[in-house]
Amino acid sequence: MVGMNYLFKSQTAGQQRNATFEAVRRMPVCTGHAARAAVLAAMLATVASAASAEESIFAFVYTTDLLPQGKSEVEQWMTWRHQKNGGTYDQIEGRTEYEYGLASNLQGAIYLNYAWTQAYHNGPFNATTPPEQFADYNAGPDDFFNAKRFTGVSGELIYRILSPYTDGIGLALYTEPTIGKNFFELENKVILQKNFFDDLLTIAVNFTYAPEYRNVPSDDNPTVLNWQEETDVNFGIGVSYRFIENWSAGFEFLNEREYNSFDFSHMSNSGYYLGPTIHFGGERFFFTATALWQMPWASVHTDTVPGTLVNHLVLDNDFERFRFRFKAGYTF
Amino acid sequence: MKASHWVWLPVAAISTSAYATTYFSVEQAQRAIFPGASFTSTGKPNTWWTSNGGYFVVERVVGKHEYITVAIGINPNGTVKQIEIMDYRESYGYEVRDASWRAQFVGKSANSPLQLGADIKNISGATLSSKHITDGVKRVLQGLKASG
Repeated sequence: MVGMNYLFKSQTAGQQRNATFEAVRRMPVCTGHAARAAVLAAMLATVASAASAEESIFAFVYTTDLLPQGKSEVEQWMTWRHQKNGGTYDQIEGRTEYEYGLASNLQGAIYLNYAWTQAYHNGPFNATTPPEQFADYNAGPDDFFNAKRFTGVSGELIYRILSPYTDGIGLALYTEPTIGKNFFELENKVILQKNFFDDLLTIAVNFTYAPEYRNVPSDDNPTVLNWQEETDVNFGIGVSYRFIENWSAGFEFLNEREYNSFDFSHMSNSGYYLGPTIHFGGERFFFTATALWQMPWASVHTDTVPGTLVNHLVLDNDFERFRFRFKAGYTF
Repeated sequence: MKASHWVWLPVAAISTSAYATTYFSVEQAQRAIFPGASFTSTGKPNTWWTSNGGYFVVERVVGKHEYITVAIGINPNGTVKQIEIMDYRESYGYEVRDASWRAQFVGKSANSPLQLGADIKNISGATLSSKHITDGVKRVLQGLKASG
């Protein structure tokens, strides 16, 4: 395995003799339909290999790997949130991101954020309840709520202090302001990364502190909006092993906590998510997908809204039973 | 074409991309590092004695996405004569193929630090590749020294 001398399993002696100093593309010998499939596969492979990346190995958890100075990457995210208390609930969030390596240890990015949702009898006591990103919308308890919106613009800076490849452990600081209609958030992270087994196994840990303001309908008068404080305090861990060339797989675990304040008082929710992740990284193209299920470990807190805790699952705000995130990126 | 053939198309496309680029075959790397020499297998995988008393070793190291294959020529006195990158398919860091970066290894022995950031310069954006190539050369030198 790693560190052993390489056996040329994909080359014959004849191929070696005929190899040129330029790039060599090989294709298996086959006939008929299989041959046509192979030709198309080779064409797609050319795109994939012409395409590779400083990619996100996890869908939710960040690592300390950054773009080199002067390099760019575009990423497209899709997050599907599914099912609350009952009834119907789906939300699809999209993010389109451009990243740029500002320096060897500093990366900047800008995001465009947008979302679509449908909800019906999804909330406490079977009432239709718009999800958090649509919290400034009004919906009657028996309405079928269906909406889409541009949710805002985000900026991002990641500064790497230590590299897991040269310093033994990776450490980076992250900040991401987001501004949208009736919403402002400043998400901050401390990112830790440790690699094992010749860097084939990656473990990343994130601590997040994200205070936000939302202008939401007043409890007393839903036609009046009030700015409210909320803070998300999250812990995340991702573990992924590169089991063959280009492919890694593992799991991600998140604990997301919400407070109705900026100072860790008035805790409202704490949810736990766990699920598998898979990642493909090519020369310029990558994709990552993670599916997370909420674990039944939630409990009541001082500001928990009645009816949002069901069978030890918290289903308030941006908590749901299942979420799935897909990211794809292209480096240039 | 049957539907079953199409099902495997994306998988085949991605998997074939793993065999895209080779810069040197074994024979080409042997000729580049030891021109005019002849090679005899030592009995160990991918390790040859050269006719001038040195060694030629092909080592595979971990890259960001795929393995990197490195040819290492070693003088009779145990120092590095030359290294060549046989395969490299990463997003960044093609500078590992530059003669100036590879020249840092010339003259290194099993007793050299061979440490990225110390006696071997890092390449921004290819730290993992630079580290593993450096580690690979050190591993080969120390392995040969240990085996006498």
